[in-house]
Amino acid sequence: MLADLPILSLITFSPLLGILVLLFLPKHRSRWLKATAIIATILPLLLSLWLYADYDSTKGGKAYEETATWLDVSLNKEAVGEVGSYQFELQYHMGVDGLSMPLLLLTAVVGVMAALASVHVKKRWKSFYIWFLLLEIGMLGVFLARDVFLFFVFFEMTLIPMFFLIGIWGYMNRERAANKFLLYNGIGSAIMLIAFVILVATAGFRAEQVPEKQQTNLSYCGSYEVITTNLTKADSYVNMSTEQTQGQENPFYLSERMRWVIFLLLLIAFGIKLPIFPFHTWMLRVHTEAPPSVVMIHSGVLLKMGAYGLLRFGVFMFPAVAEDWKVAIAILGVVNILYGAVLAVVQKEFKLVLAYSSISHMGIVLLGIASLNEIGLHGAIIQLISHGLISALLFLIVGSIYERTGSTELKDLGGLARSMPFISGILLTAGMASLGLPGLSGFIGEFLSLLGLFDSQQAVTCVAVLGVILTAVYVLRSILGITFGAMPEKLAAVRDARLIEAVPMITLLAFIVLIGVYPAVLTEPMKHGFDTLLQQLSEKAGR
Amino acid sequence: MLSSYLTMAAILFCIGLYGALVKRNAVIILLSIELMLNAVNLNLVAFSKYGVVPSLTGQMFTLFSIAVAAAEAAVGIAVLIALFRARGTVNVDEYDEMRR
Amino acid sequence: MDTSFSQVAWLIPLFPFVAFLLLLAFGRGQRTLGVLLGSISSFAGLVLSILVLIEHMSDGTKYYQYSFKWLDFDGLTMNAGYEVTNLTALMLVVVTLVSFLVNVYSAGYMKGDERISVFYSYVALFSFSMLGLVLADNMLTLYIFWELVGVCSFLLVGFWFSKPEAKAAAKKAFIVTRIGDAGLLLGILLLYWYMPDHALDFVHIGNVFDGQTGIIAASVTTWIAILIFVGAVGKSGQFPLHVWLPDAMEGPTPISALIHAATMVAAGVYLVARTFDIFQASQTAMDVVAYIGGFTAIFAATIGVAQNDIKRILAYSTVSQLGYMMMALGLGSMTGGIFHLFTHAFFKALLFLGAGSVIHAVHTQNIQEMGGLSAKMKITTWTFGIGTLALSGIPPFSGFWSKDMILNTALHEKPVLFAVGVAAAFFTAFYMSRLFFLVFMGKPKGEQHAHESPASMTIPLIILAVLAAASGFIQTPWNNTLGTWLTDGAEKEHGGAGIVMVISAAVGLLGLYLGWLVFVKGTIARDAISSRAPWLVRLLERKYYMDEIYEALLVRPLRGLGYLLNAIDEYIVDGLVQLVSGTAVWFGRGGTRVQNGQIQTYGVVTVLGLIVLLVALVGRRFW
Repeated sequence: MLADLPILSLITFSPLLGILVLLFLPKHRSRWLKATAIIATILPLLLSLWLYADYDSTKGGKAYEETATWLDVSLNKEAVGEVGSYQFELQYHMGVDGLSMPLLLLTAVVGVMAALASVHVKKRWKSFYIWFLLLEIGMLGVFLARDVFLFFVFFEMTLIPMFFLIGIWGYMNRERAANKFLLYNGIGSAIMLIAFVILVATAGFRAEQVPEKQQTNLSYCGSYEVITTNLTKADSYVNMSTEQTQGQENPFYLSERMRWVIFLLLLIAFGIKLPIFPFHTWMLRVHTEAPPSVVMIHSGVLLKMGAYGLLRFGVFMFPAVAEDWKVAIAILGVVNILYGAVLAVVQKEFKLVLAYSSISHMGIVLLGIASLNEIGLHGAIIQLISHGLISALLFLIVGSIYERTGSTELKDLGGLARSMPFISGILLTAGMASLGLPGLSGFIGEFLSLLGLFDSQQAVTCVAVLGVILTAVYVLRSILGITFGAMPEKLAAVRDARLIEAVPMITLLAFIVLIGVYPAVLTEPMKHGFDTLLQQLSEKAGR
Repeated sequence: MLSSYLTMAAILFCIGLYGALVKRNAVIILLSIELMLNAVNLNLVAFSKYGVVPSLTGQMFTLFSIAVAAAEAAVGIAVLIALFRARGTVNVDEYDEMRR
Repeated sequence: MDTSFSQVAWLIPLFPFVAFLLLLAFGRGQRTLGVLLGSISSFAGLVLSILVLIEHMSDGTKYYQYSFKWLDFDGLTMNAGYEVTNLTALMLVVVTLVSFLVNVYSAGYMKGDERISVFYSYVALFSFSMLGLVLADNMLTLYIFWELVGVCSFLLVGFWFSKPEAKAAAKKAFIVTRIGDAGLLLGILLLYWYMPDHALDFVHIGNVFDGQTGIIAASVTTWIAILIFVGAVGKSGQFPLHVWLPDAMEGPTPISALIHAATMVAAGVYLVARTFDIFQASQTAMDVVAYIGGFTAIFAATIGVAQNDIKRILAYSTVSQLGYMMMALGLGSMTGGIFHLFTHAFFKALLFLGAGSVIHAVHTQNIQEMGGLSAKMKITTWTFGIGTLALSGIPPFSGFWSKDMILNTALHEKPVLFAVGVAAAFFTAFYMSRLFFLVFMGKPKGEQHAHESPASMTIPLIILAVLAAASGFIQTPWNNTLGTWLTDGAEKEHGGAGIVMVISAAVGLLGLYLGWLVFVKGTIARDAISSRAPWLVRLLERKYYMDEIYEALLVRPLRGLGYLLNAIDEYIVDGLVQLVSGTAVWFGRGGTRVQNGQIQTYGVVTVLGLIVLLVALVGRRFW
């Protein structure tokens, strides 16, 4: 029954309802505005939970797919001779599979939690929530879009709201941070667009025979399925070199080197988002300057878009190239892990510690991707979800601590376990989850990623395990610095969490524990998600 | 023979160009422009006498150009006086209305 | 009987877990709930464990294993489950017994602490994790609980979180054991990929490695064994990762007894015993275990001689005794290792609880400030004395039998280690007599109002004292009950134990006598050594400068690297980006400066452009 509804579009655009209501609310009624926004984020959560319950991993997500023609541009027919039609198609194509299902849920959950955490916002609630909901639409769309251009549109849709959310509601240097964010991500998007355009112009080309009319329809399209099939099928024209076409020029042929270039472009584009080592500085600014609820979204979901894009467009489309590059990716991952961890050890600001820890944890995702086997890929996705939840929780706590103490400098904080035992307890648990304590979600992702990678790259894995130790060092240093030890005089009067703060904290922690204790909640929908990829990889290995 | 005229004209033109670009006083700039025009006139006359096809057309153009230059100088000075009344200066550095 | 007790062994860890959850939910502000729940749950666990042990001793249902698919997708199946072997049954009783006694003891010791219910919830969580570790039927499940006990230890060490020392000790405990855990993790990864069918459960591991059928290459076997041992080194405080254990004494004393003497630190020994087949398949690994163990035994024992903190002396003693256990395992005597673990759990828990009782009375931990307590604290003195004798290896107390067995094995396998073991035994006896005589004999110093602890504290002491005195008789040179039972008769007792018994008893007595001479009789001056070789005393007092070495070799370089990378990150990585954007901005600025609204400037630019154009056009001709 669910398949009859356009459920994916409903999920994606349900926050629009909230925006509509918000538009008609007076801008000083902060309570109403907040309530509306929270309800508007609960809508997609409920719908995606419904979808999760309905989703059957053995059948895949075909039943839920939605396709509609969005924009057709006719091209000059004379140029190609006798054809029925010759056009450039942009499709509205939404789909879900084992890869996007967990991330969709993550987005919906973190969305609600961040909306709840936005109670600390002090000004201009109306525009804040409108941007916030727009951002959520963009994020949901990114994970559901199945057309490269649609993906691009949603991807960009997250940039602009983020820019304003950082630039208006952030801390001291918010404008600079917002500029840096936009600049970096703009460059990333531009590179991504170049890669997409190349893909559409070559692998996106298709010729459809229409037997009843005795003619052929030619079109360029950005459909993910068309591009992937063309790229990976051995006898498709994209794989025909000039020798194979008897000397005839084949404008659609993608040579080995061209594929490398596209893969590299995608790696850079999504590497900026992820972020991969030399491209990470923008993200530090965002982590320190954006308001905590926005960082929850940013660190919790937006970074994951990078890994998702890398997997979906990089690895899934070019498994052979990924296979060639896997050592490089693994090394990048290890560099991320160690670099982030070592830097996190010496930071003086808690938000910076968390920012560098995000870099370190995203390195684990890269390891999982580089393993290119079932175990590691599962590990990478679980690590994404887990880090999303954990960092959302940590920044939620950062927001609450900042509200009370007015500082996130480690030297100003200490001994908070005495005055706020609840928040400190949650913080400690979140830290434990972050350093990969079994029983909490962080362990599963980390363990599976390392286990998967160990199969083919033992030396790299051994180095990566050093990160496990360093993670413990920086997590304990910072979190014990905040919760343990002597308490500065002026913090004696701070109060423990209010109900509105406690609810999202407990909810997020519950998810973290759930995944840690019973990982099947995530692995179940992910089953068969990597089948085609692994099949191609094994074919390549066989060849 | 022609080359000496042309060299002379070129020198004259360069002096005029230099003055027009470098001098701050608007009156001197106008004078420099006159110099450049005269350099052109000199060329015209020289070509009308020693050119490949000598004819009087060049000299006619010279007269024409002198007349136009005179008119231009008159208008230029008039504008300058108006500006001087408005701004109290003939220093072109301060005439930066284009930027505002 | 349809269902055996072993089948419901999963209930044993469940009791404390339920107690933990209840305390988490309702514990706030409660004072007695923790004591009640903690004691009841651990008692229930104890009863069930004893039933399981009896069942296993009476040859009926010897073995039970159950597992379910925990993590399962194409390409990976990870099971979680429990199994009850004779070894686990024995460990279950040790853990639940000590845990129960500590729960009861803490009711007195922690009385008055405002966070007592938090304390009990942590203890309950620890008991759950430790029992889970004991019951685990495969490496992954074991690893999970292995980490959980680590975190509980961390929480309890840092229980008095306001104290900076407690904070530092908790951090150190966690990070140092984490180094070991990283090794164990790698070991598990190796094991997973090299085991046939990726099986991680102990039954398969045993089968694969047992006959050494060559399924797994010898070098890989050695690596797996050594990596697992690295985990054990971290947890069991073996050299060089022992540094956390003495610092962990910042935690409440009952915790030191439970976690850092009897159960968790023994988990490393237990782990090696659990995976003993892997070790036996690699002689190199066995040697490593034996020599590290032996070295730790003597190394820590010598440090113990020069310490003044009552708990630290006991902590170094623990490290040293754990070294004995490892040495036994490395020499191929699993029985010896487990036997010593068993007796050590009782007498060391006894000593720690006794120390707790002393600290409770005099409010200091420095033995130089104590004295003459025997008059005021009769029960504590007697029980502590029994513990001292057991630890010093005086017959017929339990420590004698287990130590004797290890030394006997060493004499047959590696005489060098026998010598090391005897020397360590001498030092052990010496520092214990020093401790005992300084605290309980002589004239009272400092606190004058010391009094005997309440019954909730003394009763556990008495029970443990009985066990410390008598538990050694389950395995004597004439009677290989434990060995047969544990290893199915695979391990035989070495003959010719007479000489070893004499030597070990003599050495123990000698150590005690020397201590008596120095600290009671005064025949030998106390500063006999410190006046002649002050550097030696200093070296021992500073624990061979291990902390300083770590500081210099690991902590500082790491921090330095951090600052270096931070600068690079800020100025080079980010600087490059700034440079790129800066260049664009600089070009823009230059552009605006030209647009100044002055015709003359425009004119200059135009002329320059013209010249460039001309030069280009003309120059092309001569190209």
